[in-house]
Amino acid sequence: MAAVSFPTIEFAAFFVVVFVISWALMPHPRAWRPFILVASYVFYGWIDWRWVLLLIVSSVVNTVAARVISQSPSQESRKRALTAAIVFDLGLLCVFKYLGFFVSEVDGAFDAVGLGSPLPLLQIVLPIGISFFTFQAISYVVDVYRGETKAASLGDVAILQAFFPHLVAGPIVRANELLPQLRTPRDPREVLAGPGLFLIAGGLIKKTVVADELARNVVDPVFNDPAAHSGLEVMLAIYGFAAQIYCDFSGYTDMAIGVALLLGFQLPQNFNRPYLALSLQDFWRRWHMTLSRWLRDYLYIPLGGNRDGERRTYRNLMLTMLLGGLWHGAAFTFVIWGGIHGAALSVERWARGRWQGFHLPMWVAWLITFHVVCLAWVFFRSPDLATAFAMLGGVFAGGPSPLVTLPMVSLTVAAIALQAVPGRAWERAEDWLVTRPVAAQGVALGLLIVAADAAVGQEGVAPFIYFQF
Amino acid sequence: MPAGQVLGVVVIALLVAAVFNSEAIVRAGESMQGGTTRDVVLSVARPLDDVAGTVGLHLPREGFDMAFGQEPKTAEGTELESGSTAILRPATKRKRDNKAFPQPTPTSPIEVFVTGDSQALFIGELLTDELPDDLFNVEVSPRNSTGLTNPEFFNWEINAQQEVAARGPGAVVMVMGGNDGFNVLGEDGELYGPQDPEWQTEYARRAAVVMRELGSNGKRPVYWLPPPTARDGAFNLIYQTQNRAIEQAAAAVPGVRYVDIYSTINNGRYSDELKIDGRRVLARQSDGVHFSREGAIVPTRLVVDAMAKDYRALRADGDAAP
Repeated sequence: MAAVSFPTIEFAAFFVVVFVISWALMPHPRAWRPFILVASYVFYGWIDWRWVLLLIVSSVVNTVAARVISQSPSQESRKRALTAAIVFDLGLLCVFKYLGFFVSEVDGAFDAVGLGSPLPLLQIVLPIGISFFTFQAISYVVDVYRGETKAASLGDVAILQAFFPHLVAGPIVRANELLPQLRTPRDPREVLAGPGLFLIAGGLIKKTVVADELARNVVDPVFNDPAAHSGLEVMLAIYGFAAQIYCDFSGYTDMAIGVALLLGFQLPQNFNRPYLALSLQDFWRRWHMTLSRWLRDYLYIPLGGNRDGERRTYRNLMLTMLLGGLWHGAAFTFVIWGGIHGAALSVERWARGRWQGFHLPMWVAWLITFHVVCLAWVFFRSPDLATAFAMLGGVFAGGPSPLVTLPMVSLTVAAIALQAVPGRAWERAEDWLVTRPVAAQGVALGLLIVAADAAVGQEGVAPFIYFQF
Repeated sequence: MPAGQVLGVVVIALLVAAVFNSEAIVRAGESMQGGTTRDVVLSVARPLDDVAGTVGLHLPREGFDMAFGQEPKTAEGTELESGSTAILRPATKRKRDNKAFPQPTPTSPIEVFVTGDSQALFIGELLTDELPDDLFNVEVSPRNSTGLTNPEFFNWEINAQQEVAARGPGAVVMVMGGNDGFNVLGEDGELYGPQDPEWQTEYARRAAVVMRELGSNGKRPVYWLPPPTARDGAFNLIYQTQNRAIEQAAAAVPGVRYVDIYSTINNGRYSDELKIDGRRVLARQSDGVHFSREGAIVPTRLVVDAMAKDYRALRADGDAAP
């Protein structure tokens, strides 16, 4: 897994080579496209080349489906092609992500009623990033069906799915965001280096200095054995995980967007200071934004959205969030995570309708929102339901709290509080950075890499949380 | 900014990182699987590290290490790297078996430290569930990708000293061996591979050094789990040798218990599935080496069985005298 992770020696070497060749070939799209596609496949196939075959098959099937949809005069056959593509895409996801869980549960149920064990347990390796490239494929064929984007060539669809900065853990890019950029050569004199380098540096710090430190020193020990820890430690682990998952996932996304920017491409924003949210609806406009807009556009709205009355709206919200939970994996903990968000969104909506014009004080709204999100994170992080309930029960436990140290509390608070720093301040810092001499920028970035490596120490960078999805 | 300047920034950054971080790059290279990437990384990083060390360019990294509280995990001239096989002389039976370790009570529970390579994680986590909460506190600290045959990357002798000093555990569980296939220098200065009998002796010697540190020479029990069977036959040959080596080392160091998860689980035959508590579960991960979380309960229970020989509270007859 380490080879496809950004903060590794292998990736640094890979990126320098790709960067040079990519800009050299940029004026020649016929050469650039195959190059970037092969580079992306090398990046993806580093661990297991069979995954590349899967990706290629997915691109071929979705390209053919989109062609049929765009060229067929009959609505019937357009619909059939769309259905076939979606069934194929979801089928891939089901086989690789849910079949093992399903077989194991069915086998357990048969066994429990004395019918023996009729099913072979399956050893299925989950191809990294499959949830991301599958959702991207679905959005592409649906957009073609809706007429929001034109059917593209196989090469373009393959790049759309495989472009290495976003392949493994997003952002989930829509066709009309990336395809137009592929069709116009980027200008090598106008690389957005300031934001690109700044995002890479920031992502590196978020991951190594905050996420991995919190995981190692507080979150993992407490979630591994909640009963052995005091209430204070349990609370710090819960808040710490909120900070860890934000820094881990947004750190990866920052690096992905930064790497893409250095290659001349803009990917959509995925996080917008989510822990400043004053409602759950607000939270989902700021957290994993490309997934939440996917769920909204391809699930919630097709289900009826808020068009068919209150009850249907609540049902649709609940269904959308439950399926959003299941997208992360086949486990009841993810279903409950989605359920908490679905229920909270529904309650929020009901309360808004019931008490129109009434607004909670901002700090109360923030406090409630943040703690509902943290409650849901307990289920998301726990390996099973028993651990999640032990964590919640452990909040009131007494005892000494050696894990509650100033550095860990400071990291947790800083990760959340730094989101309140206005965007303009970061932009000014970017502008300042980009106007320094090249050598100064390079030395600063180099020292930052040394510091990041020292922060993770001998343990090395832990795998990104979202790699497992 | 023009692409050329961006390239300049990136290349300078990587050069600065490589020069100031050369020790870490050597270690990263040493932790890689054998192959071209490892060879390339090490062939560049080792000379660079020699030069950087000579002119004092390690200092900034050492400063960052200090700031982040990182302790060095490698050193030269340790007993783990080279020492006498005299350490493998079997301990007397009295020293080996009859040591009575302090028994846990609710007011004085035993701190159990679970460490080793990546296989230690699930076993440690499940041990927290299997042991009585009021009598045992379990701490888990896996060190992924480490082993005894690559002390340049991670020196378990030094780490054992640091961990024991910092945690003062009452008992230690060591799960180790999945990454050990490297050639080793024997006592005679010759290089031996896992197929050589001398490799087993050297592996046992290294294990004994670490066992002695973890157990403070018999002060606390050490439960050592070498690898289980693997799907790959070539791995099994190495794992078999490691099991024999650990058995040999455990016989030489007081307080060390060899926990055999190789020949006891499924009678020494590899299987993805195991029947656990009457239910079939997928017990191994797709690599054919690691246990799945559900499957790790089997070696965990073997650890508990081994601990029950030292701790009366874990025996079926509870507090009965030994």
